[in-house]
Amino acid sequence: MATITATAPRSGLPGFLKHPATGKLLLLAVAAAVLVPLANARWASGSWPHALTVDLTEPLGKASDWVIDNRDSHPLFLYFFGYVSNAVVLSVRAVYLVLLAAGWAGVTAAAALVAWRVAGVRLALGTGAAFLACGLLGMWIPTMQTLALMVVAVLASVVIGVLLGLAAGLSDRTYRALRPVLDTMQVFPAYAYLLPVVLVFGMGVPAAVLATVVYAAPPMARLTALGLRGADAGVMEAVESLGTTARQRLLTARIPLARKELLLGLNQTIMMALSMAVIASVIGAAGLGDRVYQALASVDVGAALAAGIPIVLLAVVLDRVTGAAGTVDDELGGDTGSRWTGWAYAAVVAVAVAVAGRLTDRLDWPEAWLVNIAEPVNRAVDWMTDHLYSGVPYVGGTADWAGHFTTWVLDPMRDGLQWLPWWSALLIVAALAWLIGTWRTALTAVLAMAAIGVLGVWGPSLDTLSQVLAAVAVTLVLGFATGIAAARSERCERVLRPFLDVFQTMPQFVYLIPVVALFGVGRAPAVAAAVVYALPAVVRITTQGLRQVDPAAMESSRSMGATGWQQLRQVQLPLARPALLLALNQGVVLVLAVVIIGGLVGGGALGYDVVFGLAQGDLATGLVAGAAIVCLGLMLDRVTQPTDRRTKKGA
Amino acid sequence: MSTSTDVQDAAVEPTGAGHTSAGGSGAEPVFAVDGLWKVFGPKADRVPADPELAALSPAELRSRTGCTAAVRDVSFDVRKGEVFVVMGLSGSGKSTLVRCLTRLIEPTAGSIVIDGEDVRAMDKARLRELRRHRAAMVFQHFGLLPHRTVLDNVAYGLEVQGVGRRERRERAQEVVTKVGLEGMEHRRPGQLSGGQQQRVGLARALAVDPEVLLFDEPFSALDPLIRRDMQEEVVRLHHEEGRTMVFITHDLNEALRLGDRIALMRDGRVVQLGTPEEIVGSPADDYVREFVRDVPREQVMTVRRAMRAASAQEAGEGPALAPQATVSEAIEAVARTGQTARVVDRGRCLGVVDSDALLGVVAGTGGQFADEAAGSDTDAATGSESGAGSAESAPDQGDGTASSAREGVA
Repeated sequence: MATITATAPRSGLPGFLKHPATGKLLLLAVAAAVLVPLANARWASGSWPHALTVDLTEPLGKASDWVIDNRDSHPLFLYFFGYVSNAVVLSVRAVYLVLLAAGWAGVTAAAALVAWRVAGVRLALGTGAAFLACGLLGMWIPTMQTLALMVVAVLASVVIGVLLGLAAGLSDRTYRALRPVLDTMQVFPAYAYLLPVVLVFGMGVPAAVLATVVYAAPPMARLTALGLRGADAGVMEAVESLGTTARQRLLTARIPLARKELLLGLNQTIMMALSMAVIASVIGAAGLGDRVYQALASVDVGAALAAGIPIVLLAVVLDRVTGAAGTVDDELGGDTGSRWTGWAYAAVVAVAVAVAGRLTDRLDWPEAWLVNIAEPVNRAVDWMTDHLYSGVPYVGGTADWAGHFTTWVLDPMRDGLQWLPWWSALLIVAALAWLIGTWRTALTAVLAMAAIGVLGVWGPSLDTLSQVLAAVAVTLVLGFATGIAAARSERCERVLRPFLDVFQTMPQFVYLIPVVALFGVGRAPAVAAAVVYALPAVVRITTQGLRQVDPAAMESSRSMGATGWQQLRQVQLPLARPALLLALNQGVVLVLAVVIIGGLVGGGALGYDVVFGLAQGDLATGLVAGAAIVCLGLMLDRVTQPTDRRTKKGA
Repeated sequence: MSTSTDVQDAAVEPTGAGHTSAGGSGAEPVFAVDGLWKVFGPKADRVPADPELAALSPAELRSRTGCTAAVRDVSFDVRKGEVFVVMGLSGSGKSTLVRCLTRLIEPTAGSIVIDGEDVRAMDKARLRELRRHRAAMVFQHFGLLPHRTVLDNVAYGLEVQGVGRRERRERAQEVVTKVGLEGMEHRRPGQLSGGQQQRVGLARALAVDPEVLLFDEPFSALDPLIRRDMQEEVVRLHHEEGRTMVFITHDLNEALRLGDRIALMRDGRVVQLGTPEEIVGSPADDYVREFVRDVPREQVMTVRRAMRAASAQEAGEGPALAPQATVSEAIEAVARTGQTARVVDRGRCLGVVDSDALLGVVAGTGGQFADEAAGSDTDAATGSESGAGSAESAPDQGDGTASSAREGVA
């Protein structure tokens, strides 16, 4: 190739050589040609060379032992973490007791009335029904446990998030420092947050709450900062021209102008807190998540579903109500007076219902009203196991599919990845990241990948990676196809929308329940859960991207007589490229999160290491796996990060 | 009305130097801007300080220093009760200039004095005081708070000042009525049309009862018809209250309709400052000439420009016109009667206009003396008092406005 470029006159370069991508690849190839023989000679090919790993197990084990030994004596724990931990325990306990004292009737009434004030009658009815369903399923106590944990975690997340957001929103320097951190934190799977918290606080409620806060606060901070910074410059100037003080500007203009972002931040924080509060059951949070976790551990799908349904209902209700908070209020506009009286009525009614419940001694959900769905569900699952798992004529069974998927897709992919010489894996990562993004993203990605090798979890990480890649491939094929269909047909989109809405709000954890019912345990169910979880986001971004293509460009291509297929291929898809890349990026991040959680249902690899570490008290293994998850997340995000997102940051 | 005679003298036999702008009007300036600079870019301070850099063209300045001079050595006075229009194309620095007046943009060099007080020397508290009570601004994109009702938006300036809820609402209500928004008090800005939103912006500025109203291209974002409505609204308000106004626009017709005096800006400099009649009748350079080429001159120029001394016979007959009547009115009178028309001020005949002279004005060839007079900006200053009358070429209300302003001055 080099000789061709040397002999050919400059102007006569073939087109593909002038393409910037070619330049990047050539440069990489040259670097590889120099470095690879060196590396090869020194450490040999194949899996990550042992000489290059750093065994962190021992120091981490020591650190963990030290923490356990000193938890009751060291001043750091006595005077800082101890207080934090106690405060968390006390506040969760207090909220829990208040919820119990209000009784099921009181809580349901209060929730419905809040929903009524915030979002209108329909959602109030839905909220009431959802809470009653939680009771009917026999999950009232776990629901209240989860709710108590969520209330504390959400309050803390909002306070921390708003404070950080204010700092970043008002100071450019803080913003520049904070933004990459927050961006990156959003990429990490929830699991990565569990272990460091456990290391410090041990298993239990404080760790669960803090992990939840760490996971849920970033969106609040991000959106607060974004909202404050995005205030209309014209309005701010007008406000300044009237002689406002800095405080007046913040309170009367900047914060109200950011209302939409603040409410969106609250919505996201609540949803992420719910998601994490459920996952945190693996580190000792009681509640709905714990029920699902226990049930999944014994492959009791019925019990898992009984606990999973309340989670879904909570998620949908919380999402709709907080989501509606932004819009409804705008339309009502009007008078603050009537709004306050409305709230007063709501409070009075809620208290009255709670007191009535107390007087009639009906605090606990009545036994007689329980609906046991576990048994019928398990019977149905047994029936499915007998009849659908395998041997269905022509189509085969679900377990057969899972098996085939494992044998024909996952296994070859894993073996292929693990067979790759380690340096070629790095090269591929570098090439992909550089082609899609910039040299910076490429460098981060390569370093993250290398860090995985250094941590000594090259093998399991590639196993996880193979599951991620398989899931992403399936997700993209399904997602793009559905997205294109939805973008081209209004009807299709109308049908899809409610499903997307519900699926996007559900916590990652609950996706494991149906896949276990359908496919049993193993890697294939983990991949299936990941696909289902990531699909809605991919479909939605694809649809939006295609829809937003400049109608003038579409019209002009139509006017030139392009067929539908030509329009799609030559106009829509190229113009929607940024959206498609974003869909890819989101798909990868979401898939990774669930593939890791799949460790709970036999996904193995890194996710299993984390769970194993937690279960066995072997924090070192878990922490190393957690760090590898972080690196993997970072690598996957950077590899798929379009240049646009980088450049937008400057603006 | 002594000023009119004054002007008439000046027009007929240019008196040359002797009038300073302040002396000509006999009123103390509200704003006195002198040698104002605003330079954006690294180490902006050195540009005004260094005469060599200050003399560079914008492109050279940018390549030499990386700086952009938005306002370059601008000086003018805004007199009490007048509508002072700053006009120029986009990028000419006019919006920066008006923001410098209340230091929404910090000027680089020069002085700004409001009622004898140095604006650039004000501390933060004093500056807030200035913005709260003395100068209120109306913006091109309204700058309304979307989460507040119309009434609360209008009351916002008072709220900022710490006026109690009840009182500020009462005062806001009055202003809302004054700008013709009754019945919309409880709407949100998002529910209003562009013209209505700008009425809210205007009301917000009026509610604090400022000494000076600053307008930054307030009507550029509006439809032509609504723009005309709003211009008339401003004319009416000025007529009723006689408030001093500084009005930024890129629309020449708007400038001519509203302005008592116009400062025409180009590349950060004021290229000509004068009454609409002077700008149209005696452009200072080719740029201005090109600019005003398509202006319907007969609606801007007054008969004074087309006037010649009357013979004894002419002084006694023919239709009578006020000196501030526009040429188009004179054409109508001359065409209707077939006689020369007399220019009469308080029963005294100042001169006559005939069809040749009027045609000359329309064609842009007439009014030679005007071109001669253009050399001395003193006439620009004095002329403004009378020229103002014709500036509002819309004959229906323009005159009234200008004369009320003039009375305020005299």
